[in-house]
Amino acid sequence: MGLLLEALQEAWRLLVTGDGDVYSITLRTGAITGISTALSALVGLPVGLALALARFPGQRWLVALANAGTGMPPVVAGLFVSILLWRSGPFGALHLIYTPTAMVLAQFLIAMPVIAAVTAGAVMALPPSLHLQIRAMGAGTVEYLWLVAREARLPLLVALMAGFGSVISEVGASMMVGGNLSGETRVLTTAAVLEVSRGRMGTAMALGIILLTLVLAIAFALTIVQQRSQRR
Amino acid sequence: MSGVPQSPAAALELRDVRVVRGRREVLHVRALEVAAGETLAVLGPNGSGKSTLLLTGALLLEPAAGEVRLFGRLGAEAGRTALRRETATVFQDAALLDMSARENVEVALGLHGTPRADRRERAMHWLDRLGVAHLAASRPHQLSGGEAQRVSLARAFAVRPRLLFLDEPFASLDYATRATLVGDVQSLLVSESTAALLATHDHSEAELLAQRAFVLVGGVPAQLGPVEDVFRQPASLEVARFLGYSVLPAALLARVLAVEQRATWGLVPPRSAQVSPGGGAPGAGFVSGTVTAVQGALGQGRILVDVGALLAAEIAVSELRALALRPGSAVTLRIDAARVAWL
Repeated sequence: MGLLLEALQEAWRLLVTGDGDVYSITLRTGAITGISTALSALVGLPVGLALALARFPGQRWLVALANAGTGMPPVVAGLFVSILLWRSGPFGALHLIYTPTAMVLAQFLIAMPVIAAVTAGAVMALPPSLHLQIRAMGAGTVEYLWLVAREARLPLLVALMAGFGSVISEVGASMMVGGNLSGETRVLTTAAVLEVSRGRMGTAMALGIILLTLVLAIAFALTIVQQRSQRR
Repeated sequence: MSGVPQSPAAALELRDVRVVRGRREVLHVRALEVAAGETLAVLGPNGSGKSTLLLTGALLLEPAAGEVRLFGRLGAEAGRTALRRETATVFQDAALLDMSARENVEVALGLHGTPRADRRERAMHWLDRLGVAHLAASRPHQLSGGEAQRVSLARAFAVRPRLLFLDEPFASLDYATRATLVGDVQSLLVSESTAALLATHDHSEAELLAQRAFVLVGGVPAQLGPVEDVFRQPASLEVARFLGYSVLPAALLARVLAVEQRATWGLVPPRSAQVSPGGGAPGAGFVSGTVTAVQGALGQGRILVDVGALLAAEIAVSELRALALRPGSAVTLRIDAARVAWL
């Protein structure tokens, strides 16, 4: 109990005094996670729409693959990116291992299937008559995709939340491809692991509180957007 | 089969169209035309291919073989999307987009190239004509089934389609709402001179809205002709049974009616056999039998009577109760000879 109180006091001090290290780690986490979620959305949303709407051989297998991808262990994603970017690997010449770029790549592999699978599920859940109605109204391909995505906008927001949540809280891939280098690739989760191993529970607790606040803030903002669009 | 218009600019033409699902052919129509301004009712039991025919005609379903022409143009040549913009489709469920009623109409107008500045006014005009202008700001979940279908019809008529596909648009509505809406649609089809293909299994809708009827049974055309002809003289036993006729051996029916008849089957249409509590002389259209089933819908009773074959008779529910008719009761029916058809 004493340890917990001490940790909370230390966390409070670090947060209130604006500890430089904590803030730079927080900003870096936001940047890497934000970029990887944005990239995952850019690819995952169209892929999800294609999986739901296009008709091609092997479509069911690809949907199953995307669904399986939602359970992608971060360590496996990290291992895959490590092998690709390792000095003797196929992209070793790019010198990307232990950089924020490598972390974005690994997080992309984790979040993209989540966003694609949730998007595909959301679009497939729309009533079949709605698809027919949109086409019957004379929608071209782009207008059709836009209207379908608009109809599924609330589940699509859930897809983005799920993608963001899957990467901001992961530690295995970031540790593996980022190396947890101070001032370069250290993010909230990897820093918290390090601080615990050093016995600095207060700092770890402060990092945990910030991580939790970030997740709650994003989820809260998206929920407000959801509720507003439901009320409109 | 008769009554196919030969207009060079038919709104819709199907030539040897085949639709296949899996390995099963679910629709095969050799030739069908809907003339400009005409309403053709597509009748048939559930699973007969009515909706498949409409979706194929609306270029929403690719046939395995055959030609579909809208306004004389082949779908593949003229661009399916461009051709669809000359039509509109209303489904059984209103299929409204998750936006206000007015926006639903505006989206359709936008897709049909209406300038943005004109959309709101036109949307409100059509919502008003369908009697739902006061619901313009309502979203689909705030509308009743009838209101939603009115918005869907406003969306369809607003784009001034040359051909309207109506896929059982009244089927999910209650009786009173349906009756009012059918009347409104009839007025609009006439005033807008819009051709329409109406899928329904409701005979009264077909009689009120359409000039011709096309009966499908098992995905294959069974009869095509003016509505009154189809209802007066079914072309086959399948069509007769679908239209609610009682099918009796011609010899039996001829004996009851005291007429000479060489046909094989005698067809007694709905509402042509009535309970005659006092009985009557054989040969004057009176026949006695045993009630085998008592049915009822929409305030109207119906009994099935075994007279050597099953004969259906409509009867008011109050009379049904007064006569205490139940399976096993003996009853005498009077058949209206003037309405009987022979096959």
